[in-house]
Amino acid sequence: MNGNDTVSTDVLIIGGGPSGLATAIRLADILKQTGRNNRILLIEKGREIGSHILSGAVIKPLVFKELLPDVNLSEIPFNSEVTKDTTILLGEKGFIALPFHVPYMSNKGNYVASLGQVCRYLAIKAQEKGVEIYTGFAIDEILYKDGKVIGAKTKDTGIDHHGQKLENFQPGTRIEARITVFAEGTRGSLTKMLIAKFNLNKDRNEQVYSLGCKELWVVPPGNIKPGEIYHTMGYPLDNDEFGGGFIYGLNDNKVAVGLVVGLDYQDPSFDVHDAFQIWKASSFVSKILKGGKMVEYGAKTLPEGGYYAIPKLYTDNAIIVGDSAGLVAMPALKGVHLAVRSGMLAAQTAADALSRNDTSEKSLQQYETLVNNSSIYKEMYVVRNFRQGFAKGLIAGGLLFGTQLITGGAGFFGRLRSHADYQTTLKLSELKKKPFKERFKGKLEFDKVLTFDKSTDVYHSGVYHDEDQVVHLHIKDMEKFNAVNIEEYGAPEQFFCSSEVYELHVDKAGHKEIRIHAENCMHCKTCDIKSPGDNITWVVPNGGNGPDFQNM
Amino acid sequence: MALTIISLIKQVPLPSEMRMGEDGLMDRTKAKSIINIDCSFGLEAGLQLKKQYPDARLIVCSMGPKSFENSLRTAVSMGYDEAYLLSDRKLGGSDTYATGLAISTMLKHLGFTKDSKEPFIILAGRQTSDGDTAHVPSQVAEKIGIPQATFVESVKADGAGNVIAKRIIEGGYQILKLPIPCVISLTPTGIPPRKPSLSGAIKARNLQITTFGIDDIGLGTEKIGINGSPTIVVKVVNIVSERPPIVMSEGHNEAALVDSLIVNLKKGGNVLEKKEKVDKKEIEYPDFPDKDFRNGARGILTWAELTNGKISRPSLELLTPARNLANQLGNDTKVMTLIIGKNVKPFAQTLIEHGSDEVIIVENEKLEEYLVMPFSSVIAQVIKERNPEIALFAATTSGRELAPRIGMKTDSGVTADCTGLEIGEYIDKKEKVIYKPILESRRPTYGESKLATILGFVCPQISTARAGTFEVPVVVEGRKGIVSYFNPVLEDKDFVVEIVKTERGEGGLQNLFSADIIITGGRGTTGDNLALIKSLAAELKKQGVNAEWASSRPVVDEGVAEYARQVGQTGKTIRPKIYVAVGVSGAIQHIAGMKESEKIIAIDHNPKAHIFNYADFGIVGEYTDIVPELIERVKAGFKFGIEAKKN
Repeated sequence: MNGNDTVSTDVLIIGGGPSGLATAIRLADILKQTGRNNRILLIEKGREIGSHILSGAVIKPLVFKELLPDVNLSEIPFNSEVTKDTTILLGEKGFIALPFHVPYMSNKGNYVASLGQVCRYLAIKAQEKGVEIYTGFAIDEILYKDGKVIGAKTKDTGIDHHGQKLENFQPGTRIEARITVFAEGTRGSLTKMLIAKFNLNKDRNEQVYSLGCKELWVVPPGNIKPGEIYHTMGYPLDNDEFGGGFIYGLNDNKVAVGLVVGLDYQDPSFDVHDAFQIWKASSFVSKILKGGKMVEYGAKTLPEGGYYAIPKLYTDNAIIVGDSAGLVAMPALKGVHLAVRSGMLAAQTAADALSRNDTSEKSLQQYETLVNNSSIYKEMYVVRNFRQGFAKGLIAGGLLFGTQLITGGAGFFGRLRSHADYQTTLKLSELKKKPFKERFKGKLEFDKVLTFDKSTDVYHSGVYHDEDQVVHLHIKDMEKFNAVNIEEYGAPEQFFCSSEVYELHVDKAGHKEIRIHAENCMHCKTCDIKSPGDNITWVVPNGGNGPDFQNM
Repeated sequence: MALTIISLIKQVPLPSEMRMGEDGLMDRTKAKSIINIDCSFGLEAGLQLKKQYPDARLIVCSMGPKSFENSLRTAVSMGYDEAYLLSDRKLGGSDTYATGLAISTMLKHLGFTKDSKEPFIILAGRQTSDGDTAHVPSQVAEKIGIPQATFVESVKADGAGNVIAKRIIEGGYQILKLPIPCVISLTPTGIPPRKPSLSGAIKARNLQITTFGIDDIGLGTEKIGINGSPTIVVKVVNIVSERPPIVMSEGHNEAALVDSLIVNLKKGGNVLEKKEKVDKKEIEYPDFPDKDFRNGARGILTWAELTNGKISRPSLELLTPARNLANQLGNDTKVMTLIIGKNVKPFAQTLIEHGSDEVIIVENEKLEEYLVMPFSSVIAQVIKERNPEIALFAATTSGRELAPRIGMKTDSGVTADCTGLEIGEYIDKKEKVIYKPILESRRPTYGESKLATILGFVCPQISTARAGTFEVPVVVEGRKGIVSYFNPVLEDKDFVVEIVKTERGEGGLQNLFSADIIITGGRGTTGDNLALIKSLAAELKKQGVNAEWASSRPVVDEGVAEYARQVGQTGKTIRPKIYVAVGVSGAIQHIAGMKESEKIIAIDHNPKAHIFNYADFGIVGEYTDIVPELIERVKAGFKFGIEAKKN
């Protein structure tokens, strides 16, 4: 019970999403086939597997056949096969159904699903194969020895607001592992440290992200059929705001709706959650939701920097997989199948390295080779310049994408660079267009039937955080925050946060201060990405804290 | 010999986890299970004791279905060493008596008896969230025959083989010194349970949990399960909320928020839509013979508790249902009140004037201060001699530990914390008889959401009555009654627990009962040591309003407010016209203490604070912004709609 709790494992997988679970399953299979008995530990920070999983989701099923060759696809809890797939050019009151799909966006043969449910299923499979899964444990430290990763450590608990040890202090457990797999999902807090420590993004583009807000609804029968899906472009987004909406019909009269917006937008008062509400109020979307009831809310970011933003995926004793590695294919924003694929390749690499008894960087380089020879490379390389093109706006981006289609992804300019999302926000004084609130004046009164304020939505995420812990959102430089983020940018944190964590309080004397309601945090990491001056660090709170998604 | 620390835990559904189902109703099926909160404080108390006894063996025990293994594993992942589960279908439907019996039998089977050479301490939660009785720890202690301390907040060893326990009592606390072995039940106000550690979770995953059936521990079926339990639940009805949905203030700064509150207060808030009551169908009355199961037991016995040298208010309140039951029973049924202490005779006339027909006096130097073991022994002796059909106790911290301990001695079941006591009947379709007359004890349960009616079939039928529920009876001056004396047998073994210190506040408690407005500061308002809370109350007083300030439990714990100011302690219900909760999260005990206020205003920075579910009006904001604004408004004449005192 004192500070020397140590456990040892052959492979430590940090994160119980699709990439981590695929790593675990594949690795257990290979070890079994080769008659070896290595220990695999998988640690998930959510209360349960699936608690922190959110995706649209329309999933490409093929890779699951490879991951679980003995399992009939119908056994996996996919919701419904896509039956009707339409792209909509949306206006506030009207819409045009496009007679074609944006290239790379066809969903024939794909399934709509709750990724959380799929992950719960994968976790059962993994445990059947001997993987040890522990949920509700946060890992906040990478362990190094001689400058090399040798595992990780769970967070100390029983610490008060000020960082003082309480009487129920429980030290974290050191997990020593021959190989550590970073499968934390988007903007992983440890992966970020790992990338910084080993400079793994040297010569790569800055990773850029989108924020997606999603609600799950139950609607009257007939509003939408299972497998009927729509993607919308246009309203309420401007030319400089990259993104779109999705409407996925599910079984049992459920429908998943969401709006995904690139975080490289300029307006410091832009609010993705509120834009999502405005989007729902459009005539096309509101008709589908009419008479229904919202049952769940959530939000997450996703990396969309594409091929050029993928960091080096390995170092001594460590591998990065899935969203943490930025493996998302544009423009369809599909990452689940790539996450699973990367997990399987990481598993192959880890198994080989263990058998060679060589987990060095050189040995793990095999992973990069496998990735580059896989469908991951194939899918991501052709659209390697897609997202950067749209940084110049939708019209320019569309033209550039056009040229990329002709030239197999290169375009006329070769590799396009990207800026980090926190750099693209404009100061209030620099903003040329109408700020968000004026743009949508009269549309920001939420009726709590069709549209919801953030507090109401957050309530539907099951979010919980222990009171006794240090606030897990660190403002690096408070003075700078007050002078720059609040005064010059108007505290964009209060707007971009998907879950009302940041409140700008103005007292009667006009004094402004930011108040952090960490207990609302959805773990979407937007603040870690978008805060001007890169002034906020998201660190992992106590294990088991955060949202408790059921069917997201 | 190394010490063994035994924690008793129960697994319960997590109330806050219950989500609204898609049909708009609470979906209990999706509620996750957790270790009962109080029990988890017991677990932590054990882990704290381990700091003093590094060699101690930590074992955790539970009784229930196999799914309870989850909670046992959680306990192991927190640091416990071994886990035992008593699991048998035949235990299904057991009441608290049967549960206490079964658990103590398991513990004896494991070698933990009052004569065991190996020292042990049994820790338990005060009560469970799905039962709320607080019986089992007392029953286990009685059955094993060892001392107990209930409602304990912190526990430590004194190094000389004793346990020092801080026990919460009305208006204060008590420090008790108990010999080992003993039973301690913990309130959820001490050191919060630690989080599991990963290394613990790995240990728990591989742990073999020892599971017993009743045959394994030599427990027969006569006194357990649905058929063997002395009490049964005959009816459970939903408690319909008396409070309409909250009206939240709107505005972007404190001035606007307070303006909005004032407007809302004037409008009067939401009104609860009363649904038409559906006429109940007449129950077909079977032609069964009546059965009088009392076997000659007659009369109602109550116990008059003394605090600070006075008869406690809840003990006087108790005489209201006692008199009512005596009238319903007819046949000249007597209300007998037992009073125990040193020089207590002067209280006899007061009790008679409040409705007692006979006051039984037990006077002894050794009984000057209340202690559960000698008092339960004395009361059991009186019961044996007088053979009452009903025994009532106020549901104070003393009454709630005494009643189950006595019930174990008389083989009676106990119904805890009742809000309704009536004489009724029970139609037994199996035996084709009608039990009549029988005590119907009604009590809120499942987090105050249901009202259960419970019957006991062994005399005396024992119940405890929630303080503040019944009115103190009207005094009939000069009323005549019998005063008699009882000489109990006192045994030294009942005096092994020492009261080291008793701390009880004065004064404020009564004021809280009579105030029109109560401003309560919660944990969220300790930043300025309640200065703002106090000045708001003071400002109202200046305006001639009968206002008082109070605080929630954690504030008292931090030493910022005195115990007498605490709302939400066991057994106290206040009913002001306006209750203003500031920075109060809304723990269930707090809600129970204030929910009968006429109008409730909640102010908290957390829009999800539990308190908003129980309030009529709400403001989301920092108290440091809102309260100064309110003070200014009060200075300008705002009185929350309460009239100033005339004088």
